[in-house]
Parts: sequence; C-alpha cells; structure tokens
Amino acid sequence: MMKKIAQVTVMAVALILLTGADNSDAARYNKVGSKIMCTCSCGQMLLQCNHVGCPNSGPMVRQLQAGVQKFSSDEDILKWFRDNWGVTAVVEPASHGFELLAWLMPPGALALGFGIIILVVRNWRRRLVAVGMAGVPIDPQIEAFRSQARRETEI
Amino acid sequence: MPLLGSFCLLFALALALCCFVTGILATRRQDATGIRLGEIARRAGMASFIAVSGAALSLTWAALSNDFSVAYIFHHTNRVLPIPYKIAALWSGQEGSLLFWAWLLAGYGFVLRFRHKVDRKLTAMASIIIAAVQIFFLLIVNFAANPFGILDQVPADGAGLNQLLQYPEMVIHPPMLYLGYVGFSVPFAFALAALILRYPGEKWIHITRRWTMVTWLFLTCGIALGSHWAYAVLGWGGYWGWDPVENASLFPWLSGTAFLHSVMMQEKRGMMKIWNVWLIFITFMLTIVGTLLTRSGIISSVHAFAQSSIGAWFWWFLVVVLVVCSFVFFKQRDHLKPENTMESLASRESSFLFNNLLLLGACFTILCGTFFPILSEWVRGYKINVGPPFYNKVFIPVGLILLFLTAVGPLLAWRKTSMGSILRNFRVPAILALLTAIGLVAIGVRPLHDLATFFSWLSLTMAMMISATIASEFIRGGRVLQNKLGGTVFGGMYHLTRRNTRRYGGYIVHFGVAVLVIGIAGTAFNLEEEQPMALHAKLQVGRYTLINQSTTQDDTPRYESEAALLDVYKDGQYMTQLSPELRTYKPNDQPDHIVANHSTLQEDLYVVYEGRDSEGSPVIKAHVNRLVAWVWIGVWIVILGTGVALVPNAAQIKSPVTVAEVLAAKQFQPAGVGK
Repeated sequence: MMKKIAQVTVMAVALILLTGADNSDAARYNKVGSKIMCTCSCGQMLLQCNHVGCPNSGPMVRQLQAGVQKFSSDEDILKWFRDNWGVTAVVEPASHGFELLAWLMPPGALALGFGIIILVVRNWRRRLVAVGMAGVPIDPQIEAFRSQARRETEI
Repeated sequence: MPLLGSFCLLFALALALCCFVTGILATRRQDATGIRLGEIARRAGMASFIAVSGAALSLTWAALSNDFSVAYIFHHTNRVLPIPYKIAALWSGQEGSLLFWAWLLAGYGFVLRFRHKVDRKLTAMASIIIAAVQIFFLLIVNFAANPFGILDQVPADGAGLNQLLQYPEMVIHPPMLYLGYVGFSVPFAFALAALILRYPGEKWIHITRRWTMVTWLFLTCGIALGSHWAYAVLGWGGYWGWDPVENASLFPWLSGTAFLHSVMMQEKRGMMKIWNVWLIFITFMLTIVGTLLTRSGIISSVHAFAQSSIGAWFWWFLVVVLVVCSFVFFKQRDHLKPENTMESLASRESSFLFNNLLLLGACFTILCGTFFPILSEWVRGYKINVGPPFYNKVFIPVGLILLFLTAVGPLLAWRKTSMGSILRNFRVPAILALLTAIGLVAIGVRPLHDLATFFSWLSLTMAMMISATIASEFIRGGRVLQNKLGGTVFGGMYHLTRRNTRRYGGYIVHFGVAVLVIGIAGTAFNLEEEQPMALHAKLQVGRYTLINQSTTQDDTPRYESEAALLDVYKDGQYMTQLSPELRTYKPNDQPDHIVANHSTLQEDLYVVYEGRDSEGSPVIKAHVNRLVAWVWIGVWIVILGTGVALVPNAAQIKSPVTVAEVLAAKQFQPAGVGK
C-alpha cells in the first residue's frame, strides 16, 4: 500500500513540475503592482486604488507599465519607485540591509520556538527514563484491548 | 443629559475605586468584617455597571435628540442620520468607543460578580482585578477622552457620521469586536486571581472555559463582519487588506485560539500551567495593544482614529499590567509545577504544543509586520511600509503548516501514538488529499504558475485533508455508537456529538476553518477589468459581458449619487442586471462606492462604479472573485461549531455491560477515556 502511495506521489509531483511559471509582462505588472502602494494617502494598494480623481495612481500605473517594459528585474522596478515616490511607496521590505530583518524575524522566532520545544521534550523524556517510566513493556492485555478498539472503530 | 452623563462617569469611577479598595481590604481579613467588606466591594462593582450604563444612555440620548452642544455628537451625527446610525455613533468616535469599552467591561464585571457563588473567593479576587481595569478605562473617559465635552456655541446641525460607517454591518461589527476584546479581561482576571491566591487545581480554567469560548466567538464574528463590511463597502474587491487595525484584531484572536487549545493539556494532563497563564496574560495585553493601535495614531490605517495623547495612557497601562503579571508569576511560580510531562513527540500533547507554537508564530509574524514601520523609523529615521506581499509570503506558509497540524492532530492519541496507528488513521485523509491535489492539476490549476497559485493549490489540498480527517472521526465514532444503540450512523454521530460537545464542536469549528480556507484559496484565481463605459459599451471579464444600458443620478438629503445600469451576460446568456453606484455624502463631500455584487457558490461578479473619465463616461471596474461565498459559509460553520461546543454534554448513554467487561474495566482504565 505504502509503495503504491509513494508511486502516486512521485507521479503527482512530476505532473506538477511539468507545469511552468508565468513570466509574461501582464503577470509581472500584477506581481510588482501588488507591492506598490498608492501615495495619495488613500491607504490602498496601487492596483486597487479606487479613489475618485486620485492624482497619483494614474501616473504611477503608467510608470509601472513602462517599468515592466524597461527593467528586466522586478527589484529594479521597485527601486525606481522607492527613488521617485519615496520608500513608503513600496510595501514589501527589501531583501537586503536593515529591511531583511523583517523577513528574518518571523522564521527566526519559529525556529527558536521549535528548537526549545524539542529540547524541552527531550529533557522530559530523559527524566522519565531516569525514573524508569519510559520504555515499560506493553501489557499484552492492554494491547488486546487496543486491537479490539481498533477493529471496532475501523472505517 | 451631558451633565448627567458626566456625573454617571465620575460616579462609576468612584464605585470602581470603592470595589477595588474594599475588595483588597476584604481579602486581608478573614472575619465577619472581611465578609461585609467583600459584599460592599461586590455591590459597588455591580453598581458601577449601572452608572456606566447611565453615561452610555445619556450619550445615546444626546445623539437621538440631536444635542449638538455635545462636541462628540456634533462630530459624529447630524439631523438626517437614520436612528440605527445615531445609536451606532456611541462607538463611532474615539471618546464614545472608549465609553462603550468601559460599559462592556462593566457589563462583564456585573455578570462575574452576579455569579459569585460559582467560587466566592476566586470571584472576589477576579472582581478586584476587573475593577482595576475598569478604573483605567474610567480614568481615560473622565479625564483624557471625555465624550461629554461641551461646545461654546451650539451648531444648527452636526458634521455627520463617516459615510463608510453608514452600513448595517457597521452597527454590529464594532460591538462584536469590542465584546471579543473586552471579554478576554475575564479569563485574564481569573488566571491572575488564581495565581495570586495559589488556587489549587484547574478551577479557574473550568470557570472561564465558557467565558473564553464566548469571547472568542464574539471576536471571530467581529473579524468576519469587519471583513464582510470591507468587501461590501470599501469597493477594492477584497475582504482582507492586512491593514494594521485588521491585524490588531488578529493578535488576541490567534493567541486566544492557542489558549483554547492549550488549556486542554492542563485540564487533561496537568501540563503547561505556566504556558497557559502567560498565554492568557499575553492575550489580554494584545487586546490593549490592539486598542493602542487604533487610538494612538502611531500607525496609519483606514480605521485609526486621529492622533491623540491617549496612546501614552495605554503604553503605561501595558507596562503596569506586565509588571504586575511578572511580579505575581515570579512570586508564585512554584505553584505552577506540571503534574505530568510529555512522553513522546508523536502525541496529542505534542500536536497542541506545535499548534501553539505556530499560532503564536503567526501572531508574532503579524506583530513584526505591523510594528516594523515604527521600528524602521526608530532605526533608520523613516517608515518602511509593510503590506500584503510581506504577509502573504510569511504568514501563509505558517498557516499551511497549521492546517496540516489541524488535519493530523485529531488522529494522535494522548501520551503516545505508534507509527502504525498514525499511518492507519491517516491513510484515507492522505489519499483523498493526494487525489484532490492531482484533480486540481487535472482541471487546470498550475501550482508553479506563481506563488499565489501554489499556496492556493496547497490550501485546497489541506482543506480536503482536514475535512477527511474530521469526517473519519465522526464516522468512526458514529459507527461505534450505531453498533451499541442501533439506528443509523448519523444517529450515532448525533449521540456522539451530544456526549462530547466540546470535542465534536471543536471538529465542526475545524471543518469551518477548512471551508473558509477554500474560500481564501480562490483569491489566486480572481480576475479584474476596468474601462470607461459609454452608453451601450461592453466590458468583458472572464465569462461575463457587461453592457451599459443607462446611467442615473439621484439627490437625497444625505447624499448625491450616480449609478450605471448594467446588463450582465454569462457565456452570451442574459443573467441579471447590476447597478453599481457612487455616492457623495453632503456634510463632508466624501465619495463612497456602493458595490453591485452577484454572488454564487462558484464566484462573485463584483462591480464598482469608479467615477467618470475626462469625457464624462462612467468608469466601471469588474472583478470576478472566485469562491468568496465559501469564506462566509466557513464562518457560519465556525459559529455553529462553537455553539455546539458551548452546549453542556448529554448524560452518558447506559447500555448493558457484561461481568467480564466490568472486571476488565477495573483492571485497565485506558488513558484519555471519556475525553
């Protein structure tokens, strides 16, 4: 059974990997546009700004369209917007310098928490072994009850 | 009325102080005087609710009677405002919402003190702590943000309510959210009280279990209503924008969810006592952080009230709460020794532990993103904005792991689970999830198209895995009871749920989350188009064709409006007519989009009237939002599940037992029985 599941999984992964990523200009426009904020103080993302008579979103959208054509790297487009509309125009922290901290803090905290849990559980287990509670052989009667419960509750 | 309101507020402060001081004095005396002082404290606390109610009613009455001599009423209402929105004015501005907060807190305190017979000693101490929190809020509304400030000259009409708030859900959303925020004060007070008194056992958890669940339910409803309001009113096509104030409501929700899970470890195994106490302390502090975010103006948000000095009060309160909690914890920490330890990583305990880690990790992620602009301003001298792209990349992976754990957790036994058991129980959900993943690819979902599609594909797979796990749990248990009692498997499932409402209600909540995730996953497949639409012009978005049949204008006492009348065709077949509208509210000349939405289980056609272009043609933006309806259905299921979990368990079903079974039961009592 496990072998079959493994085979199906490999086939599924292969099928998925056969599908390609979309790097068209339209996709880049949407991707980069979702990282830029309208600077008219409406507090909305550039591509979602529905502020009536907005003085900024129109020019910014046109500059974004031009940027997608001009720059090959998305990061260069964002840099252009930071330089011309201020750092607050881009709502995704950069992946270098001080802004990298924003990306590192959450996974760092999770990794730290995960490490602490593993250490604590190991410590607890070690204590249990020390007092002779772990590794106690399973009572055959208990195992018989478990088997019965398993049989009666199997779908 | 303003005078009466001001008096009520001052009187409420005096009563809360009386409750606090006499309550402390009562705890120091064990004689008849101590009992009398305790009763005085309790009654003063209950009376403070009546006094704050008087203040809240005074402000509401001032709004209903157009008393524009009150500055707050002038700024948030006007004569033409419908009555429900005049009532909603109570929580529409800074001062009023703080009064509303104080009122709800006093209300919670009233119920707590009224039900003091549950445990007189513990309730008395919790009442003192609630009184301390009440004093803080009453100090603010009396001296820093008094809603009864009087204007020098009485204007003929008010400035009116923010037009975005003139929506039916806005009458319900803030009270729900505030009931959720304020409600966490009660489990916090009981936890701190139990620690101060070195209360034996888990009584504080038993007492506060329903409080916490009801509070969590209110917060869930508040968040969901806010999302629905954003979707229906703001007109940008989405329901969650990772706005700092939206994020603030998630902080206590996430930590509260972690608490609801981890208390089970303490109840069943006597573990995680320190963790639980700190979790509820943190949850309470996060409600204060959320309030700080909305009141102080330290972070710009579409929700935030104006910049004010209120922030300093909240910072100081946070510091005091942290110091008090830390002091009590360090003084009494030996009281929180665990009775058991974890024996294996493959156990229910371990799944709860990792669930807590991930929930708090998600909370920390959002905290990082929300406060990063402030941090960057301190360090670099300018604010670096953090928006949806950051949260989508960092929060969603954490959420996906959490979903995986939601699927696996219920299949793990307490103490220790063998690998064979995991594989056996997980086989069906894993196969169904795999089939879903393959099926999605077969119907055209391309996981590697972009990150959003990949996350959606994975989310849908996880949602199936969770649903399959829960279904297998219900079916397995239902069959056992069916064999025992006869009838159908559904009857067995019903009895199963009635016998352990908390567990099976929890599963229904998990199923609701899975359904909600299906709705969220649809976001990756949304479409949108925008264009000017002259008369009879066409707009094509996905399978829909919109044709402009006419435009209309209207003028009412509250607003002027323009609307387009659009015929909608799907695959060439006439479907319906939609009329998106743009209103301009008169008192402040602010525009507001009235979205036209045609919703089905498959997708929403969401149409917005953006304005007019330079040639005078209406500009229409049409979104096809996939699977959104499942978000709201998921929320309803979550509410249903929480409701089930709140129902007390039915009595155990009695059935004939053989002598051999009785003897066997005496020899062996399996772990986790009846849990």
